[in-house]
Amino acid sequence: MAGTHNLRERQMAIQKSQQNQVNLSPADSSANSAADPMAPTMLGKVAPAFTLVDLKGKKVSLADFKGHPVVLNFWATFCGPCKMEMPWFQDLVAKYQPQGVVMLGIDQDDGMATPQIAAASKEIGVRYPILLPDNKIAKDYQLSDYLPETYYIDKSGKVVDQTIGAHSKDELEADIQKAIGSGGQ
Amino acid sequence: MLFVALMCSAARAQEIQLGDARAAASKAHVVLLSDAVEVEGGKPQVVELRFRVEPGFHINSHAPKDELLIPTVLKLDSASGVKVAGEEYQKGSAFRLSVGSAAGSGETLDVYRDEFRVSVRVVAPKGASTLTGLLRYQACDNAACFPPKTLPVSVAVTAE
Repeated sequence: MAGTHNLRERQMAIQKSQQNQVNLSPADSSANSAADPMAPTMLGKVAPAFTLVDLKGKKVSLADFKGHPVVLNFWATFCGPCKMEMPWFQDLVAKYQPQGVVMLGIDQDDGMATPQIAAASKEIGVRYPILLPDNKIAKDYQLSDYLPETYYIDKSGKVVDQTIGAHSKDELEADIQKAIGSGGQ
Repeated sequence: MLFVALMCSAARAQEIQLGDARAAASKAHVVLLSDAVEVEGGKPQVVELRFRVEPGFHINSHAPKDELLIPTVLKLDSASGVKVAGEEYQKGSAFRLSVGSAAGSGETLDVYRDEFRVSVRVVAPKGASTLTGLLRYQACDNAACFPPKTLPVSVAVTAE
């Protein structure tokens, strides 16, 4: 959208535009999602199961973390905003480890060798698992064309928040707290 | 040196504005502004191809500081008899990432914003021909990035 300067502004502009629209037909959530690429399409849904491999080739499944709040962050080495928020995730996952929070990064580089991804994540300063995508996780999570994209999954396995674009550390922390506080004991 | 000398002849290679690809910018984030040029036939010429980056976005320059970043690269075909002898990219400008309260504390990037130019050294046969190729780039704004994309480049060359 011309004239706006970041994703947050675009989201606000889209919201404002939608508020100004007059609805002449019944609400259709799927149609709205198609019109707004920023729409949180997975909100309230059960997080799709997956089994991926980490940078050492070890299999990691979402089911391994049943009963834990899980933060799933899609990122890429070419994405500056992703690399800006990843050290914040590292700090926050350490802070909320006593609450059982699990952080998983899923790399979205196309064709990059695993050692390069490992070197980049080390340079960024993350120690949480980085997973390599298969050919279905992007579809299952209905990823948009934007990075980073983050899913906050509560202890019951439900997506309680979904964010597109980098957010401040305070916002990341609030979303993690939301995942901790939801889904029962 | 030859290239520098040829740069002086760039002014002679007259640029013509044809068409309006601006509508495509919202999806592609980059559009080609120079889609037709006039040159002297059979002589080495430098033509400047101008591109526009959608407002609010930036793309990495041809020489980003971080090796993980994807540089902007123009690959031209020597089709239709137009010989391409080399490209020279405009220098990028510094852009510091900022997210939330961490404004100004992010990585400093070398980027193109608004308009940028690639100077292309060509030798075109007399008559009409077309210079074609692909511009590969990767766009971001302050808070999000998009996958690398390629923009088809097609420039009508008229050589007298």
